[in-house]
Amino acid sequence: MQRNRPPSAQTINVLRALAADPARWRYGYDLATEVHLKSGSLYPILVRLADRGLLDTSWEPGRGSRPPRHLYRLSPAGREFVAALTAARADRTTLNPHNRWNEA
Amino acid sequence: MLGGLFFVPMLGLLGIGIALYRRNPRRFLDGPTEDAPLRLMRWAVGLLSPERHEWGQAMLGELDHLDGRIRRMRFALGCVGAALVLPPWGRAAAGVWAMITLAVASVGLYTSMAIHYRLGGGDWIAAAILTVFVTGVLIGASALVRRPGVAIPGLLGGLFIAVTFLALSGFTFLDQILPNTVPWHRLVQVIAVPFIVGAAGTLWGRDPVVGRRIARLAAITGSLGLFVYRSIAVAATGGGGPFDQDGGGTLRGTISDRLGNNLVLLAFTTLVFATIGWAGAAAAGRLLRRAPAPTVPGPITPNSETQQEA
Repeated sequence: MQRNRPPSAQTINVLRALAADPARWRYGYDLATEVHLKSGSLYPILVRLADRGLLDTSWEPGRGSRPPRHLYRLSPAGREFVAALTAARADRTTLNPHNRWNEA
Repeated sequence: MLGGLFFVPMLGLLGIGIALYRRNPRRFLDGPTEDAPLRLMRWAVGLLSPERHEWGQAMLGELDHLDGRIRRMRFALGCVGAALVLPPWGRAAAGVWAMITLAVASVGLYTSMAIHYRLGGGDWIAAAILTVFVTGVLIGASALVRRPGVAIPGLLGGLFIAVTFLALSGFTFLDQILPNTVPWHRLVQVIAVPFIVGAAGTLWGRDPVVGRRIARLAAITGSLGLFVYRSIAVAATGGGGPFDQDGGGTLRGTISDRLGNNLVLLAFTTLVFATIGWAGAAAAGRLLRRAPAPTVPGPITPNSETQQEA
C-alpha cells in the first residue's frame, strides 16, 4: 500500500532545487551540496521520489575506467506535484488566521 | 567451568586471525589495497535489496567522481546510513522487525525493573551499557538480515540455540535464576549447538561466507532471546528463590545481581556463539571444498559433439 504522507522539509528542498530548472539533469552529489543534505539523507529521499513517480532517472555513460553516473530530474508528475505544493502553501499562507490577525 | 569457557572465545578469535592470515598473508600484513571509502561503499551496496541495486550503483558512480579522502569518506558513511535506513523487503523486513522487538524488549525489561525496584546508579550505568550494546548488535543484525539467504536460517538458528539452551538449563523461571551445575550442559549449549548452526548454515547456503553470516545472526538472535527470557524470569520471580549472597542478601541487591548476571551472560554468549558458529561455518566450508563438485552435463557445442563422435 502506497502511503501519501506530506513531504518533509528536506524533501521539499530537494523538490524545489530540482524544480528550479526542471529540464536539467542533476548529479546526486551536486544536489546534496545545493540543499545542504548529507548523502545519507538525500538518497532515501530520491528513492522515495522515484518510487512515487515524481523523479526521472537516467545514466550518464562512464568515461574511460570511470563508472556511469546517475542523473535526476523531475518527471512531468513531479512538476505537477511541485506546482500543487506551491499553490497549497500559498493558499495556506493566505488563510492563516495568524497572518490575518497581523494584517488586521 | 564457566570461567574456563572464557578461554574458548579467545582461542576462537586467535583461530580466526590465523585463518585470515593463511587466506591472504600479503593483504593481512600490508592492509587492503583499495581505499577505505570504496570498500565501505561496496559493503553498503551489498546491504541493499535487489530491487534497490540500481541505487547502490548510483552511489558507487557518484563516489568515483569525488576527490579528497575526507569528502569521499563522509559521502560513503552517509550512504552506509542510507543503506541501513532504506526499508528492507520481504524476509529481511520480517527479520529486522524481529530484531527490533527483541532489542526493545531487552532494554525495556531492564529499565522497567531498575525503576520498579529503585535500583542504584550502578544499575543505570549497566542499563546505558546495555542500550549501547543492543544498539550495536541491532545495527549488525540489520546488515546481516539484508544479505541474500541469511534472514530466515539465521533467525531459525538463533531460535534453535535459545531453545536448546533453555531445554538443558530448564524452562521454568526459577531454573533461569539458579545456576546450572551440570558441566556437559555448558559444552552442548555453548560449543556444540552454535558449531552445528554455523556448519548447517554453510551446508544450506553451499557457501562458507553465507554460513558465517547465518552463524553471526543466530548468535545475536539467540543471545538476545535468552536475555529477554531471563529478564522476564527475574521480573516474574521478583525476590523469589534464594537471595544472592553477591547482592548482600537484600531484595534490591538480589535483583541487581541477577540483572547484572544476565547482562554479562548476554555479552558472553553473543561473543561465544558467534565465534564458535564462525568456526563451524569455516569447518563445513573446508569439507565443501574437499567434496567433489557434482558433474553437471554442459551445453553441447559443435566442438564437443565432434569430440564425442571421435
